Amino acid sequence: MDGKVTIGRTAGLYIGAAVLRLAIFTLLPGIPDLLTGRVEISTPVTSFKRLQEGLFLYNHNVSPYDGGVYHQAPLFLPLFSLLPNASSYPIFTYLLYIAVDLLSAGALWKIADSGETVASALFTSPRKEKRWNGFIIAAVFLFNPFTVATCIGRSTSVFTTCAILHAIAKAVSGAPFSAMVAITFAGYLSLYPLLLLPPLVLLCYDRQRIERGIKSVIPFVATNIAVVAGIMGLLFGMSYLITGSWEFLTSTYGVQLTLSDLTPNVGLWWYFFIEMFDSFRSFFLGVFWLHLSCYVGGLTVRIRQQPLVVLTLLLGIFGIFKPYPSISDTSLFLALVPLYRHVFPLMRYTFVIAAVIMYATFLGPAFYYLWIYAGSGNANFFYAITLVWNLGQSLLVCDLMFAVLRDEWEVERPEMAGKEIRQI
Amino acid sequence: MSAQPPSSLSTDDAPPVAVTNATSELKQPPAEKPSDIRRRGYVILSFWLIVLLLGLPIWWKTTTIYRADLPLQEMLDWSDGKACRPVFPLRISIQANSLQDQEAQNLLRLTQHALDDLNDFAGHHLRLQLSPPLGDEATSATNNGSALTIRLSPGEATTATLDPYEPTLDITYPPNNIPSPTASSSALATYVASQLRSTFGEEQATISYLLSTNSMPSEHRPLGLSPETVESLAKRTTRSLKYSPTYHLTFSLFTSGALPSSWDIETAIEEYMKPVLDVLSPIHNFTIDTQVQLYAAPGVQNDVLQKQDLSSFINAAEWPLSPSIGGAPTINFIVFVGNQTIVTSPESESSQSWLIPQWGTVYLLSQPWDTTHVSTETLKQPLLTFTSHLFSLLGTPQSGSLPLRLSTLTRIRSADLLLRASSTLGSLARLALALPSISIPSSVADGVSKTMTHLRLACDNLGGLDGLEHARIAEAEAERAFFEKSMVGQLFFPDEHKIAVYLPLLGPVAVPLIMGAINEFKAWRKRRREKAEKGAEKKKE
Amino acid sequence: MKISNVLHLPAILAAALLALATLVEAEHTSNWAVLVCTSRFWFNYRHLANVLSIYRTVKRLGIPDSQIILMLPDDMACNPRNAFPGTVYSNADRAVDLYGDNIEVDYRGYEVTVENFIRLLTDRVGEEMPRSKRLLTDDRSNILVYMTGHGGNEFLKFQDAEEIGAFDLADAFEQMWEKKRYHEILFMIDTCQANTMYSKLYSPNIIATGSSELDQSSYSHHADNDIGVAVIDRYTYYNLEFLESEVRDTSSKKTVGDLFDSYTYEKIHSNAGVRYDLFRGGEEAARSRLLTDFFGNVQNVEVDGAKNSTIEEDLISLSKTIAALHKKYEEEEAALIKNSTAAARKKTTSQRKIQLAKPLTDDNWWTKKIAGATAIAGCALLWGVGSFFEGR
Repeated sequence: MDGKVTIGRTAGLYIGAAVLRLAIFTLLPGIPDLLTGRVEISTPVTSFKRLQEGLFLYNHNVSPYDGGVYHQAPLFLPLFSLLPNASSYPIFTYLLYIAVDLLSAGALWKIADSGETVASALFTSPRKEKRWNGFIIAAVFLFNPFTVATCIGRSTSVFTTCAILHAIAKAVSGAPFSAMVAITFAGYLSLYPLLLLPPLVLLCYDRQRIERGIKSVIPFVATNIAVVAGIMGLLFGMSYLITGSWEFLTSTYGVQLTLSDLTPNVGLWWYFFIEMFDSFRSFFLGVFWLHLSCYVGGLTVRIRQQPLVVLTLLLGIFGIFKPYPSISDTSLFLALVPLYRHVFPLMRYTFVIAAVIMYATFLGPAFYYLWIYAGSGNANFFYAITLVWNLGQSLLVCDLMFAVLRDEWEVERPEMAGKEIRQI
Repeated sequence: MSAQPPSSLSTDDAPPVAVTNATSELKQPPAEKPSDIRRRGYVILSFWLIVLLLGLPIWWKTTTIYRADLPLQEMLDWSDGKACRPVFPLRISIQANSLQDQEAQNLLRLTQHALDDLNDFAGHHLRLQLSPPLGDEATSATNNGSALTIRLSPGEATTATLDPYEPTLDITYPPNNIPSPTASSSALATYVASQLRSTFGEEQATISYLLSTNSMPSEHRPLGLSPETVESLAKRTTRSLKYSPTYHLTFSLFTSGALPSSWDIETAIEEYMKPVLDVLSPIHNFTIDTQVQLYAAPGVQNDVLQKQDLSSFINAAEWPLSPSIGGAPTINFIVFVGNQTIVTSPESESSQSWLIPQWGTVYLLSQPWDTTHVSTETLKQPLLTFTSHLFSLLGTPQSGSLPLRLSTLTRIRSADLLLRASSTLGSLARLALALPSISIPSSVADGVSKTMTHLRLACDNLGGLDGLEHARIAEAEAERAFFEKSMVGQLFFPDEHKIAVYLPLLGPVAVPLIMGAINEFKAWRKRRREKAEKGAEKKKE
Repeated sequence: MKISNVLHLPAILAAALLALATLVEAEHTSNWAVLVCTSRFWFNYRHLANVLSIYRTVKRLGIPDSQIILMLPDDMACNPRNAFPGTVYSNADRAVDLYGDNIEVDYRGYEVTVENFIRLLTDRVGEEMPRSKRLLTDDRSNILVYMTGHGGNEFLKFQDAEEIGAFDLADAFEQMWEKKRYHEILFMIDTCQANTMYSKLYSPNIIATGSSELDQSSYSHHADNDIGVAVIDRYTYYNLEFLESEVRDTSSKKTVGDLFDSYTYEKIHSNAGVRYDLFRGGEEAARSRLLTDFFGNVQNVEVDGAKNSTIEEDLISLSKTIAALHKKYEEEEAALIKNSTAAARKKTTSQRKIQLAKPLTDDNWWTKKIAGATAIAGCALLWGVGSFFEGR
């Protein structure tokens, strides 16, 4: 395979993805606004509509958080205010979103090419020959309908996705500082990526270059946490300077922590807190957040040999259990899943998972329509379908985890390869 | 519920796998490696640490009901009347410019004696004092806190008249009535005392009635109110509205046809009602609005209205007499133009108006059928009626001169507010004791302490406008504390309900956690025993 | 003793002057009604019709809308399935349109919740609550509480989502009694196992009645085939029948006991229950209460006697003089104060600032853009530096 062809293929892939998006943007002008309004894509903390509201207030010297509509990070505001007005010159916004998607694909490509998934520092899979190359992985990501829909819906979660993928890409290429910068950006934008820190720091530790590495674990971890804290402080400081008050902390992270906006989404929280007795509300907020974070420790310890697996599984879990999930979180998880092509044969429920996810994808909007517009259904319809959707995702998470563990186990006991097993 | 952690698979059971061989019988899996065991221990530990270090504090913090400390005993004391003895020490100054100082002192002493003999109610007693013998100091005398000034002047006969403009009682006496310094009784002193008694009789009766209807201990409770007095006082308190710093007055013109369609209400109010509102302004504020309604059908169609018709005359269903203007209670004054007449009994004259307790007044105005405009002059009689009804709706006493009636109103209202605030405190205290599951936010405790401060101040300054002000604040604070918005919710939440909330949600989480811990513990014990056995065997060898 | 009686005379006289002819005992001064339906959806048409029938009755007997709190979770008149749009009937003869054109619903749709109901009773509402949605009663108010919906043993379901328990209800009434928010209450409930709902009440002066015993259902009376659903429940139907035929106006002398005696198993198909023991005076006193004490608005009006207008004119002139005196006095005071504090006051007025809505301006947008661009550039720089040093 010579370099020219590779470059040509790469360019072709990127151009193809960009042209597809641009075509939808320009040829079907109704689609972007339609998707922007969909609850499956836009959550209160990522909605482009809300961003525009905040932007308008920001541009007119009013605190963007007045009115309780905008719940996103302050640094989005100067970024978007540098672009021409999104309603009169939407093309610049489109280009920005397309660029972000391509950058994410680039990071994914790097991760794939590093081979971290098949051969990490502490573990090498016996099936390592079977993996897909970066081209396929990037293509799966770029042409995944969920990714495309997120991009067209201009949800700001694409920035978080991009930052997380770059953090991983930097980590596997032995650049811990950049990885920490990227994950801090992601945490600053959406808060929950901070939970990825433990496996990410381990991944950095495993992949750091020998010549300038920190040998022992504890100083390494401490350094990285200090870097994250420092950059976070810097970002908060900039946000303070931009908005002129600390109000953004409660309006962005406070909303995520307390779930004060109960707009329906594909997650599990909103319905629960609509129905919850008021006196138990704060208790169950605590329970749900604990539930979200309790996997971090267990998974990190259990799959210590492959931190990237932990990251992938956590992203899947977050896509199910975070307060305001959308299909963008699923698309991020699905972007990482093909990296485990080598363990696909070990998965047991691929057909069920695919069927369930397709089923929910098609019925979800229909049930939402029945509930909100036709009035012939109620909230239970939509919630039921989000349950199915999340069931599909959790099946995928479990199955992937099973496959990875089985893969590890076969190294330990080669004589068992290919045999049927039973959990005890 | 989906709180079931999908990765609970990974916590304790994923790695050890056994082979089910189709052909041969079950093989025992090889022994676990110590590193695997240790790792599994860490995994389980990480979940337990989160549950114990974060989960338990969160559970404790968010489900305990916050109950601010309330001074329950003190609150109950207030409501039982133990904390404050409402005493109205009314000071009466006597101006006797024509008397020698010593003579005046003597008269004062005798009158005080006579008063004390007459008095049977400790809560309300009159104390006499001599004011400086300067006639033109009257204004300052009224301002130094005395409720009434008695002006003694010589004359031909013993007479007493109330000054209409000031709280002053003019008493004339024949010169020979001045008691000698040695006399132990005097006709003049008795006369003055009885005059004072009759002047303050109504106030005394009202206040003692107020105290008796509240839960005051019996020793403060006055005796000797005749049943008729009690009944008339009951009627009067029933009639008057609850105290409010502001009242909203609505003047409505309802006509049965198309005419008349306008009225000079503004000038009429200015002329016939404004002066009274001004006089009342230290005690109440008033806001006013007016309306005209044409083709308003009354609730009763008869032309001759019997007594029992009057109560359904107001067409509550259709007349727009909405109470929801602002936050203040509304007093309605209605002028109805029609040809109805009231006949209450055959012998009495027909009357024009009636008062509806705690609500307002209706005045029937008959006008020629083609009148288009109701003039100020025509409105005079209705408005004068309204004015006098306003007094009774506000609970003003009936007897005495106007200034005296107003100062009495102040004292009655202070007592009323004081008692109401105290009883609210008691209600709150009993509520806090009776409902252990109700949350009591700190704002309630603040309100209670403010109430008690102001009650104390009001209790110490009873009688004046200051006392009224403090009583008013105390009452408002007490009401706010009692009606604290967050003190509601599911009051009755039995433990079965709590299980119903916790179990389906936390059950799926708790089962793998607990099972994991138990399994781990069992395995650990087993290993120890094996080790011990091995050690013992080694020793034997 | 004698003299003191004589001295009380003016008071008695004065009071009696205004209260000329009222001999009726001043028991209560206002009547309130809290009418609650707790069900939604078309097939519960009859529950809304129940409540609206009672609403119509109390209004007919003179309780003004301002003293009726009506809770309706659904709007049957505008339901697309309603063959007679804009109307609600409680009888198949469709003689009386309960909806009419003058109906004031205070709590509607999803506002009808257990919490709002308890807040209403205990008056624990926010500042923003209009007076028309509050129960502004006092210790002289009689209240009719009528509830209907789907219930069970010691609970009544609200809108398929939540339920009020008999304990909650009892505690709410106790809080009302504690705060002197009622004089007497007539509590009526028409639901399955209704009598269990009032079994936990413990506050005084409540007469309670319900449609059916524990483990008994309450049934609907009849269906209207054109509307397609049952239009009224049996218990409410026979209550209304009694009220319509026997209590034609507020002068009716029918008592609560008469109404309760009219309940029979043959008519209602369940054992209607009555509870008197909380009432002061027990069964006898409770039974002798007039129905209009609860369903009507009995006002003890006080008719004025023949006018003697001179007194009132005097009052006006007096007031004018006194007001003038006050004013003069205040002006003098003010003049004194003015001189001494003029300077201080000026200071305070200048400090007072009014909080206005923030105007939308796009002043200094350049500096803003530059600051923003700097921040973004800073982020990019951070990333660039990291990549540069680690990329090698």
